[in-house]
Amino acid sequence: MGKLWPNIYKELLLLFRDYAGLLVIFLMPVVLVIVTTLVQQNILKSIGETKIKTLFLDRDGQMVGPKLEEVLKKVDALELVKELKGKTIDVETAKSAVAKGDYQLAIIVPEGTTKAFIYNAKQAARNSLSSGDTKKTSKKKKTVTVPDLTVYFDPTVTETVRTSVTGSLEKALIGIETDEKIKAFAALLPLEIEAAAKKSMGAMWSEEVKKSLPVLSVAWDKTPIMAVRESTAQLGKHAKTPNTVQQNIPAWTLFGMFFIVVPLGGSLIRERQSGMLVRLLTMPMSCLTILTGKIVAYVLICMAQFGLIIAVGKFLLPLLGTPVLETGPSPVTLMIIALSAAVAACGYGILLGTMARTYEQASTFGAVSVVIAAAIGGIMVPVYVMPAMMQKISLFSPLAWGLNAFLDVFVRGGSLWSVLPDVMLLVLFFLVTTLIAWFNLSRKGRIRIQ
Amino acid sequence: MTEQIPDTKMLVARDLKKIYPGSSQPAVKGFNISITEREIFGLLGPNGAGKTTAISMMSTLMKPTSGSVTIYGIDIVRYPQEVKKLIGYVPQEVALYPNLSARENLRFLGRVSGLRGKALEQRISECIDFVGLEEHADHYVYAYSGGMKRRANLAAGILNKPKVLFLDEPTVGIDPQSRNLILEKLSSIKESTTMVYTTHYIGEVEGLCSSVAIMDAGGIIAEGTPEELIKRIPGCANLEDVFIALTGKHLRD
Repeated sequence: MGKLWPNIYKELLLLFRDYAGLLVIFLMPVVLVIVTTLVQQNILKSIGETKIKTLFLDRDGQMVGPKLEEVLKKVDALELVKELKGKTIDVETAKSAVAKGDYQLAIIVPEGTTKAFIYNAKQAARNSLSSGDTKKTSKKKKTVTVPDLTVYFDPTVTETVRTSVTGSLEKALIGIETDEKIKAFAALLPLEIEAAAKKSMGAMWSEEVKKSLPVLSVAWDKTPIMAVRESTAQLGKHAKTPNTVQQNIPAWTLFGMFFIVVPLGGSLIRERQSGMLVRLLTMPMSCLTILTGKIVAYVLICMAQFGLIIAVGKFLLPLLGTPVLETGPSPVTLMIIALSAAVAACGYGILLGTMARTYEQASTFGAVSVVIAAAIGGIMVPVYVMPAMMQKISLFSPLAWGLNAFLDVFVRGGSLWSVLPDVMLLVLFFLVTTLIAWFNLSRKGRIRIQ
Repeated sequence: MTEQIPDTKMLVARDLKKIYPGSSQPAVKGFNISITEREIFGLLGPNGAGKTTAISMMSTLMKPTSGSVTIYGIDIVRYPQEVKKLIGYVPQEVALYPNLSARENLRFLGRVSGLRGKALEQRISECIDFVGLEEHADHYVYAYSGGMKRRANLAAGILNKPKVLFLDEPTVGIDPQSRNLILEKLSSIKESTTMVYTTHYIGEVEGLCSSVAIMDAGGIIAEGTPEELIKRIPGCANLEDVFIALTGKHLRD
């Protein structure tokens, strides 16, 4: 410890005087977290997390339009707009407003919808009741064509939203259609029964018999017979719904941590190039002490980064309108994950510092490799939405291990036990990279390792 | 472990050989020197002669392929950490952190050398005064002139009061004033410090060193006092003539 502490102190002192390095270490991940979280919040507006501005044009003006409007008003994701600047909307105006991107979609209920709807419902009822009578069956009346319900979408609206909206409309139309058919059926059935009874009973038919016939009521209970219950699969008792904050905070924290490979690798290269490493190795101190000093200093920096970004998620982002970061029930587990990610990043930085010949090589290769590892590790796009092949490749990214462990705790209620495999992979990565770095220094024969 | 050699030999190298991995030719071969206490030993040679490799092996930086080196009677291969307490090293480059001041650099190097507290601060002040950097001791090294950097580099090399000081071209690229100061200061500490000095400035060696070895192609081709070497080669008026006569005029890369 006697010689380790001066090394740690020296590294920290050098880092605090390297303003460009500080920007990379602290400011870059904070800015990335804030920007990506806010940007993704906006993206979510178009995929249903916040209200979608919807123009609603009822050209029918009868039963179907108001009923559809009533159903759509109950959909939280939609904000129905029926007038523009105090004027009723026509089809062209609606199309134009959507095309300009002012509104995400426009729903047009065409003229004559209700009339055709009711006619077809009655026809359906008639046809269904006459199915046993071959003479009547042959005289089945044809239905009329109901005009299509048209929905104009803004081209930027995602497929998910389109499916969701059209699904809601189809569900509403089926509801209206069912109601109308039942009404028609309820009106027709007693008449058909009465006619059939009269015909069968002949002279025995009387008003008393008519009163004894069953009456069909359409005032059915609208409560669904079977409900769909939504629940989240979770590892522990604590679970939170994943949101942009829960995804972005751990993701960009890891990205920031791994980006320290640039200043860390750079510091080792500068020491090699300046002759400082040679000088240090002629002093009564082992190479292991020098490397450990660097690793401890940069792990401390990574932990400070982690604390800063967690604070951003808990205190700053909510001020900008995002949900508050929920860190789960086990801060100790989180610290262990952060620590294992930090040592993994430092191992990679040390490896880079021993392999690259120049600072430019280290900074370029280091930055690019971290961006690639981040991309395949699910930092930018969650792994589960990647193609199957990329999902397999992501298994080899240390950032994916770290992110999976963080998400285990943040949103799946995971424990230390559940994140242990990922933590062990990160520690193994650190050991392997550090050993290769050590071997690399020895193999080059440029310095002795003791 | 510390088998003291009776005849005040501070540094003895026997049959040193170094073959770098992947190379078939030795960078250094048959290297034998014996340096006594208070001696300043000059090591001359054209580029690629093997000076830096030899100095790297003698200063524990590099393991010899074969041969042995003892410093103060201690085998450097078997007991490198013991040897490191006795040596100082002034590399070719300015081996200091530019974003630290000279005092901060020396404080860090002193601590890893085992110095602490008041003794450390006092030694830092002595070294800074020694190289004439009192007024600039707390300025960042990056702001120094070339000469100031070289002087700070020397201060770092003598911080731990080494018994043997290795100097690898310590006056490259500096003004005559700083060079003179460095040479004067080195002369002034020879009573307490044995030195191994490599340079391309042959005049420096002639004025400073008590004995000289000229290297070429990995081996020592001549050794003795500067005067002996000048007398040994007919027609040579100074050490530079001797150097050219022995190593030739063709360019080395």
